[in-house]
Amino acid sequence: METPNGTHVLERAINGDSDAFGALVEPHLPMFYNAIYRILGDRADSQDALQDALMAIHRDLPKFEGRSAFSSWAYRVCINNALMVRRARVRRKEDAMEDLVSQNPDEGRPMDADASLRWSTDPDAFNKIEHKEMREKMMAVLDKMSDAHRVVFILKDLEDWTTEAIAEHLEISASVVRQRLHRGRLFVLERMRPFVLGRPT
Amino acid sequence: MNLMPSCKDVRENLTEYMEGKLPLSRRMGIRIHLMMCKVCDGLLHTLQTLPTFAKEVLRAPAEAPAEAKETYDRFLKNIRETSKS
Ligand SMILES: [Zn+2]
Repeated sequence: METPNGTHVLERAINGDSDAFGALVEPHLPMFYNAIYRILGDRADSQDALQDALMAIHRDLPKFEGRSAFSSWAYRVCINNALMVRRARVRRKEDAMEDLVSQNPDEGRPMDADASLRWSTDPDAFNKIEHKEMREKMMAVLDKMSDAHRVVFILKDLEDWTTEAIAEHLEISASVVRQRLHRGRLFVLERMRPFVLGRPT
Repeated sequence: MNLMPSCKDVRENLTEYMEGKLPLSRRMGIRIHLMMCKVCDGLLHTLQTLPTFAKEVLRAPAEAPAEAKETYDRFLKNIRETSKS
């Protein structure tokens, strides 16, 4: 923690002082939860992931070496937990749909020339579609993406990590990060575009 | 030497292009292509707005802070009870 007093709070939290733990965590709670929510898009799952993350933060606090700010360390714990919950959820769905695997004819299809046209950033066009419906569609698209592409897309385009930070975190090269990011972006784009530019009336 | 990349070539490299990671000659080729090709230029624009769009679509609902606080309070109560016993 940044303040001189902060070190003290950290020590007390490590020694099991729950008030000190609260003082560390509570100011960042909205940031943690928003990041988790962006990844999971579902209330129950987000609360579960936050709960798991809080437990992990509490458990691993003695391992936190204070080399980065507490908030960025704890934020990463939250992100990791959200990604884990998301992977598990996709697995559950896959298991449930095992018989239907052969469908998915559009996987790997090259983009139509038409699919790459500008999409409207006009707020009116955006509002034509219910936000909730859009979020559900986006979540479904992320579910269909491979783990490798999804994690990169989330960290880069939703969480604004640098390519280098993602590479380090995932222990892959920056150029692999960029390749996966690009595939992930095209995957999202192709599937979201009809939604953004309007549905058949 | 073919300086002018194809549409397919451009589309495959736009993220690298956006991050400035391509060698100068490739970068110039793509830049010229983008000036002349509305479709690829449109894709570039779309890729640039994608993070903003995705964040907006996936933003947490208004009741998120209350939900977070609820989970957090439950957690604190839990660890206090565990440490007492
Ligand atoms: Zn082109």
